[in-house]
Amino acid sequence: MGKASLLTSERRNRSARGTQVRRERVRSAWLFLSPLLVGLLVVAGWPLLRTLWFSFTDANLTQLDQAQWIGVENYLYYQDGAFYGVLADPDWWNSVYNTLFFTVITVSLEVVVGVIVALILNANFKGRVWVRAAILIPWAIPTVVSAQMWLWMFNDQFGIINYLLMGVGIISEPLAWTASSSLSMWAVIIVDVWKATPFVALLVLAAMQMLPSDCYEAAKVDGIHPMRVFFRVTLPLITPALLVAIIFRVLDALRVFDLVYVLTSNSSSTMTMSVYARQQLVEFQDVGYGSAASTILFVVISLIAVVYLYLGRRQLGISS
Amino acid sequence: MSQSTKPSASRITLGGTLLTLLAYLVAIVMFFPLLWMILTAFKTEQQAMSIVPQFIFTPTWQSFHDAIFQGSAYTHYAWNSLITAVGSTFLGLLLTIPAAYAMAFYPSKRTDFTLVWMVSTKFIPAVGVLIPIFLVFRSSGLLDTRFGLLMLYTSMNMPIMIWMIYSYFKEVPKEIIEAADIDGAGTLQTMLRVILPLALPGLTSTALLVTILAWNESFWSIMITNHNAATLATYIASFRSAEGLYWAKLSAGSVLASAPIIVLGWCAQRQMVRGLTFGAVK
Repeated sequence: MGKASLLTSERRNRSARGTQVRRERVRSAWLFLSPLLVGLLVVAGWPLLRTLWFSFTDANLTQLDQAQWIGVENYLYYQDGAFYGVLADPDWWNSVYNTLFFTVITVSLEVVVGVIVALILNANFKGRVWVRAAILIPWAIPTVVSAQMWLWMFNDQFGIINYLLMGVGIISEPLAWTASSSLSMWAVIIVDVWKATPFVALLVLAAMQMLPSDCYEAAKVDGIHPMRVFFRVTLPLITPALLVAIIFRVLDALRVFDLVYVLTSNSSSTMTMSVYARQQLVEFQDVGYGSAASTILFVVISLIAVVYLYLGRRQLGISS
Repeated sequence: MSQSTKPSASRITLGGTLLTLLAYLVAIVMFFPLLWMILTAFKTEQQAMSIVPQFIFTPTWQSFHDAIFQGSAYTHYAWNSLITAVGSTFLGLLLTIPAAYAMAFYPSKRTDFTLVWMVSTKFIPAVGVLIPIFLVFRSSGLLDTRFGLLMLYTSMNMPIMIWMIYSYFKEVPKEIIEAADIDGAGTLQTMLRVILPLALPGLTSTALLVTILAWNESFWSIMITNHNAATLATYIASFRSAEGLYWAKLSAGSVLASAPIIVLGWCAQRQMVRGLTFGAVK
């Protein structure tokens, strides 16, 4: 692309008319870009800076005008032998742990199951169109709807899941899926894996369908075991697509809110960083403190994204 | 299992049957929650709450009737969902098409940086900008209005839209633009008459994807609307606080809330897959 545009710009430079056209180009390019740039600054850039500012004040939702600058006290400060602030709050660290646990488990499961589902969909069988349509559904319907649906299926007394598991004999008495502290995180994980695996599968399937078929024919002629072909040929070739799927899933998982909120509300065993920040901001009305938590969340997500993109830059084809 | 590309006739044996069965099993697991929701929606509240879940029963429309006509709930929320989802898609296309066009066809040194910056606004957790946006909305009277929500959805979807549309424009050969230039077409004319028709399939999948994302959005609709501008997502989420027997009615409401997406997805499956995977599936 660089070479082509260089050539065309050289050609244009030759005549005065060309220069004029180019100047008009630049002007309309800026004209075309500015509404979007202004829009993003207003709804993303400015609020983010405001949150950053709030995080250094003692702002309260009921008396925002009287907010005083208090430095880093919302983050961490030391007084009379004890630390205070978000970074000294065990609840915050609990939510960090929950978020990371949720992210690692769901993304790993989604990648493994997603690849298997993609392999299945890539094969030829009767009714493939229907299977693909059925797989689309979890991804397409509203998260609130799927959360409510699963809440109903997880219901300890009338839920179909307990009924089926007891019928098969895996459990002997009903489990309180969303209420028990040891199970509720797994309930959230199950729903997320159900909902997001199709996304990974479809991305991987797209990559698989672009693979050259002669590799596979050669492998078949040589009598190489399918598992070996998968790990030596297919997997390396679909890695770029997998990396794209993973970064999308990781970013979504780190910010997870609505699923957790509908399924388990503010329960501490599933509280994620977003749920923690919302509770501080809205329920405790502590804007300063909640903003500090939000700022840390944003920094953590950006850091992970930057490190990921840097490490995977060759695979993802990022030039600079 | 990875005998993927071209199964020859002789391969359709035990392995083939197993694979087919496995595929159906996956489809059933994926589809089951929706099936259960639909079944529950056609039950009475008493049938829904039976200790032994019922698969065979006499269906009733009562829950749908209640969901639609009790307090005129559903139509009000559905209308809000429709306005905000479709409106934000149009506004988004209006803003992002020219921007993507400028970046794809007249790149400058700063284009890469601008694009990355735009996409990076997606890293912002919604809760991180909640209070500032809430305050602006409160002081400008946008709280609980459809227009406010529509603007939020537009900006929420902008990074994805700009990225997707930019990548579709990049696929259009440069020569076409140059030919249009030589023929003396102005920038606006080239964009509207030449490039947009060529990129139409990509634009359609983008529009489909962001309509769905806006329709399904729940955080902002719960946070900044109350009743006036509340969407179906708010309506469905509000069931959590309700008391008593409500599962059949909730299921009916959920079916009604997802039906437009499922119908849309059915009619435009290919475009939807392409959209949902951000243009990776051609």
